[in-house]
Amino acid sequence: MADENEQMKALQEKIKNMSPEELKEFQKQQCIFCQIIAGKVQSKRIYEDENVLAVLDINPANPGHILLLTKEHYSIMPQIPDDVIGHVFIAAKSLSNSMLRTLEAQGTNIIVANGIAAGQRAQHFIAHIIPRKDKDGIEFSIPQVQQSQAEIEEIGNKIISSLTGKVETKSGEKIKMDFDEISKILGVK
Amino acid sequence: MSSQQNCIICSIIAGNIPSKKVYEDDLILGVIDMNGANPGHCFVMPKNHYAILEQVPDNEVAKLFQASNKISRAIFESIGAQGTNIFLANGIPAGQTVAHVTVNVIPRKENDGVNLQWAPKQLSEEEISTVELKLKEQAKNVAIDKPKEKKEIRQEKPLELSKEEEDIYEKQLRKIP
Repeated sequence: MADENEQMKALQEKIKNMSPEELKEFQKQQCIFCQIIAGKVQSKRIYEDENVLAVLDINPANPGHILLLTKEHYSIMPQIPDDVIGHVFIAAKSLSNSMLRTLEAQGTNIIVANGIAAGQRAQHFIAHIIPRKDKDGIEFSIPQVQQSQAEIEEIGNKIISSLTGKVETKSGEKIKMDFDEISKILGVK
Repeated sequence: MSSQQNCIICSIIAGNIPSKKVYEDDLILGVIDMNGANPGHCFVMPKNHYAILEQVPDNEVAKLFQASNKISRAIFESIGAQGTNIFLANGIPAGQTVAHVTVNVIPRKENDGVNLQWAPKQLSEEEISTVELKLKEQAKNVAIDKPKEKKEIRQEKPLELSKEEEDIYEKQLRKIP
């Protein structure tokens, strides 16, 4: 146990000292989804182009559940540039369309989880596309909580400030967040 | 710009229902959900009226999710969320409650009562190969328009619904209180 802690510490130290390029390469080697993309791990491929790969989920919510992956390694969606985001979700729409046409799906969900608190389990960005039918046993729930007008105003303004860049976000903060993300995930595995 | 009478989202976009707007461009609007799961829960929608995602043209799909990602990023940065979910329900069995395409951007923290998990289903090899073949065959039609390569642009047509089909969708979607 102590040994494991030592190893984890050494690993975290090593990660901290890596250049961004080294880090990316390291993540790629550690990432099962990068191995799937590289063809080193088998998968059921549904669709592929230069930016994305769609495979069947081996633990599907419903038959036909697709994992849509970026070929480039990103651990969370906020890291992905706009043009790739556009591409990913046009592909997601088309695959959702495919489900409605061929699987007799009556609906679809598109879900992304960023961070462990949001239910993210993999260290690679994934858009889940899930074909849905009536009474298929999936029970997602998003509670509705009445927000106070004052709170809506305050939080809205914070979000606007961040979007328009009027609030200083400490530079490096994002990178720090990714480190936390990576080490947390490494801790889980 | 097409908008639909009786559509609550179109009324928000038109400004007939007040909302706290956080993001707006020519095609997309993002507002705070008054009954959000967590403070800062936003919904993001195309300004044009589309009942389901398959009707939304590719360029608007791209913009919709680019805006959603920007808002998600801003939620991380400005309110210190521990995570975010991007969630879209397409059709009633998927949990869609309004007849206008809406992306939820949900700030997350531990034990906040949001549940977007599922129990994995065990499928036989045969079931897996059946869906694999069907989806693979259909996915051959997926063609994504790349602005840089002007040659051979082939865009999959958005799902076109006849007036009748559209009415059926609208009616179905409105059944939910």
